[in-house]
Amino acid sequence: MKYVILIHSNPVPWGHPTGDFLPEFQALPDDVRARLVHDFEEVLGELQANGELVGGEALGDPAAATLYRWRDGAPLAVDGPYSEAKEHLAGFFLVDVESRERAEQIVAKFAGPGETVELRPLMSSGGPDQ
Amino acid sequence: MNALADVWRREAPHVMAALLRHHGDLGDCEDAALEAAEAATRQWPVDGVPADPRAWLVRVASRRLVDRFRADRARTRREASDARRAVDTPVTGDVPAGDDTLQLLVLCCHPALSRPSQVALSLRAVAGLTVAQIAAAYLVPPRTMTQRLTRARSQLRRAGARFALPSEEELPERVAAVLDVCHLVFTEGYTRASGPELVDVALAEEAIRLTREVHRALPDHDEVAGALALMLLTHARSAARTDPHGDLVPLAEQDRGRWRRELIDEGVALLESTLPHGHVGRYQLQAAIAAVHAEAATYEDTDWRQITILYGMLHRVAPGPAVTLNHAVAAAMVHGPTTGLAMLDPLAADPAMRRHHRLYAVRAHLHESAGHPEAATEDYQRAAQLTASLPEQRYLNRRLARLTEPGRP
Repeated sequence: MKYVILIHSNPVPWGHPTGDFLPEFQALPDDVRARLVHDFEEVLGELQANGELVGGEALGDPAAATLYRWRDGAPLAVDGPYSEAKEHLAGFFLVDVESRERAEQIVAKFAGPGETVELRPLMSSGGPDQ
Repeated sequence: MNALADVWRREAPHVMAALLRHHGDLGDCEDAALEAAEAATRQWPVDGVPADPRAWLVRVASRRLVDRFRADRARTRREASDARRAVDTPVTGDVPAGDDTLQLLVLCCHPALSRPSQVALSLRAVAGLTVAQIAAAYLVPPRTMTQRLTRARSQLRRAGARFALPSEEELPERVAAVLDVCHLVFTEGYTRASGPELVDVALAEEAIRLTREVHRALPDHDEVAGALALMLLTHARSAARTDPHGDLVPLAEQDRGRWRRELIDEGVALLESTLPHGHVGRYQLQAAIAAVHAEAATYEDTDWRQITILYGMLHRVAPGPAVTLNHAVAAAMVHGPTTGLAMLDPLAADPAMRRHHRLYAVRAHLHESAGHPEAATEDYQRAAQLTASLPEQRYLNRRLARLTEPGRP
């Protein structure tokens, strides 16, 4: 089963890893911060080594985005960001795992203070017949 | 070229087995076997296919194994070990070949490995597929599949797994794991709609081919026969399960004239030869259910009473939410939707089922036929939200539209 893990965040200035630029994360005691970073790196390494990680990318500053909207029958390009929302899509990971439980176990390690991590299933073109 | 690939796929487990009997490391043997296969693709088109392709492949592969070992030894200057002495003796192909495939599958389905690793390793080492083919079949990058295989091999090494049939007490459990892996590969292939992602490897057919080999090695094993029968009876419906647009056609609406009779006959014959033996496992029961469907001229003509009884037995042997759901569908066909709905109540109360789209899909159908359009609407909506299958989502949304916009067809 494939899942995408979406990182919604608003690092200031925009940067990766996002935690380095989030006040909520920086406010944590050193040992807690070190543990969170360690847990994340450990699970990421594990995903890479066991072939559960399919891919992933860090995204650029939403200010660098170009938005295409449809106006009067033609596309109209406007400079980003997409919205004034508190959080933007900052990166994603694609995993292929045995079960939803395993995906949830992984995502828990991706969560951190000051941002929202979203787990979404991927649709497949197959299906059962009964 | 295709004939050559066929020879390779047929011989792969025997070549692997011959190598593994002398040198226990699966990864080394796979590499050597692959090099032999590559040599064959270069030489056979020029020199012709040798009279005994297996002996040729084993000879070339074992030479590679020995070469590599000597190179390693020169590099590491390690002292002699049993393993090395074993590999220095020439490997021959003339060993009993009867259950090479079974023995290899048992190794690849070792309990130290996760299911996805067991699947990947079996397709690689036993079915003889390339990493690229397996990766394409599972829609992941080759790099991801390589990682999965590498991890699986090192886990086997750490677990001290050996190429030998396990003890009598252990064997049933190991064979059960082999059947689960074969069935998982089959389901992956069968539930995939045809379309642009259809690759050159038909997983469903690979699974049937492997299960046939297991059945050949263990002809008296009832669950092996049951699993093979289940795959044949299900595979018989393949052509009827998608429409020309690639959309799913549910069992109830399939053109039964397109079901493959020869597969149904073979599946039924297999079942008839095993059922009288006594102990009835879950694959035999699922195959028996598929056989009842296969023998009905129409969906309505199906012997739902028989299917209800079989699901009741399956519930005792291998209980689970999927069994309860199907049991409820069958019982509803016999006793009416209210009976089916009542059977779903315990499932609906289970928090683990909140995300199970099939619970809502089944309940929606039953509510619809019981004349509860509002409850049916709500359940169709929830089912469509939760399914991860595009064709199934389209189907559920169509049912939903029929209820909420009665003017539509």
